Amino acid sequence: MASTKMKIKKNKTGGRDVMVLAKHPMETGLRKDKKTGEKIPAHYIQTMDFALNGTVVAQANLGGGVSKNPLIGTTVADAKSGDTISVNWTDNKGEGGGAEKAVK
Amino acid sequence: MKRRIFLKGSMAAGAIAVAAGAGLLAPARVLAATWPKAAFTAKSEADALNAFFGSADAQDSGDVTLKAPLQAENGAVVPIKVSTSLADVEAIAVVVAKNPSPFVTSLQMAAGSAGGMFSARIKMGQTSPVNCYVKAGGKVYKTSQEIKVTVGGCGG
Amino acid sequence: MKKLVSLAVGMGMAVLTASTAQAISEAEINNDIAEFQGFFLKRFPGVALEDYVDGVNALPQYAHRRANWELMMDFPPYEPEMEKAEEEWSKAFANGKGFDDCNLAPANTYPVYDEASDDLRTLVADLNACLKANGEKPIKNVQRGKMARLIAHYKSQFNDEPMAVDFSAAGAQAWYEKGRQFYWAKRGQLNFSCANCHVQNAGNSIRGDVLSAGLGHGVGFPVYRTKWAVAGKPWGTMHRRYGGCNKQVRASPFKAQGTEYKALEYYEAIMNTGVPLKVPSQRQ
Repeated sequence: MASTKMKIKKNKTGGRDVMVLAKHPMETGLRKDKKTGEKIPAHYIQTMDFALNGTVVAQANLGGGVSKNPLIGTTVADAKSGDTISVNWTDNKGEGGGAEKAVK
Repeated sequence: MKRRIFLKGSMAAGAIAVAAGAGLLAPARVLAATWPKAAFTAKSEADALNAFFGSADAQDSGDVTLKAPLQAENGAVVPIKVSTSLADVEAIAVVVAKNPSPFVTSLQMAAGSAGGMFSARIKMGQTSPVNCYVKAGGKVYKTSQEIKVTVGGCGG
Repeated sequence: MKKLVSLAVGMGMAVLTASTAQAISEAEINNDIAEFQGFFLKRFPGVALEDYVDGVNALPQYAHRRANWELMMDFPPYEPEMEKAEEEWSKAFANGKGFDDCNLAPANTYPVYDEASDDLRTLVADLNACLKANGEKPIKNVQRGKMARLIAHYKSQFNDEPMAVDFSAAGAQAWYEKGRQFYWAKRGQLNFSCANCHVQNAGNSIRGDVLSAGLGHGVGFPVYRTKWAVAGKPWGTMHRRYGGCNKQVRASPFKAQGTEYKALEYYEAIMNTGVPLKVPSQRQ
């Protein structure tokens, strides 16, 4: 998806650090709309799966306490040149997004 | 080879059953498909840890490090990075002790294929210790750092 | 302390009593640059000239917060916006031309003094002039959003080029003088000049913040700010920041792209001679 960006960097141990920047409001459900005074409904990413060549190797769990337009990063230790890393997230409304990138 | 269920309460029993039924003994862990709701809705750190790890016990460890500012620039976007050199890492959890819902974010890993780093940008309501837990080799280790959150200041 | 006062007097306070018609020479401006830069290089011994583009993050007094910036820079929030900026820049005008056809000066030379009009050309003004010349609507909001992105896109192509603003014409020197007066004049209910905070108190704390050095100001702009991002308008140009700063000392902000801020931008750009571009910037 265009709104989810991924960055893959080589780390010190030879594996890869993967960082994901997703476009998402990450509303807690507690914030009030300044104009209407109504609470803005909770809307946040819940799970974010990291997969290496199609196999999920890690899952990040998020909640309203994660910042808007969240950044989540983790290591994919076994990633090597030629592999594909993909990320898929789902939010509390069942909406989702993701991205995929080749490992250089 | 022992099959381990490493996260009580957050593991979907169904996922384990499927894995067991398929005769999968390796990888040793199956990743949960469900979101650890009980941890995220817990109002105390102890309840959150119990929900996520099955226990609130943790041992301070120099093998878990946290990169984070001593004073955040903005409480709505506080960047942190947990790293660990421990082997066999199963999960990492970030808890902001003074947030209304202290359990902020976590990472669950399958055996041997993800490593010891977890970074995130989190919300902090006020100055608070940020407690980072790493479950490795069946035990839970932790490190902690206070992050100051100020309101106002200069900068149109 | 004495040296500091004499520097202030020599550089700025004397001109407050002079009329704007007082001429300043190219040699004197070069001397101002040397004094200004020398002041900071001495005040912050471990900080090299090129580091000043990082703003407050370069100062040792900011060590307790620097990790915030370093971690944000692992994956700057402005990156997806820079992709959008490239798309916006590349989109052709109705007449088939595009921003690449605009008659722009190298990014490290703005503002540019125009002899014919005795005016300063900022990059903002040049982009809008180009749009107008090609039958397109000029961009109204010159402080945020699309304009800031276009500027970020253009300037970033000149990253690492040292600031090199020309001030050889007499008219240019008069504009420099206007900018210098603005920088050193007190304003607002708090009665602060730019210099009070960013020269005399650079590195000192003010409430929960640390004051950045005046040296380097603007070289990394436009800026993507966390504070502005939380409010939904992350990008800001120099003039947006100037307005905010003036409001902070409880002075009415001046008009973006107006005389005062153009002159101020010119003065700061000249003080930054030699500092290499690093655009855009991530700040709080």
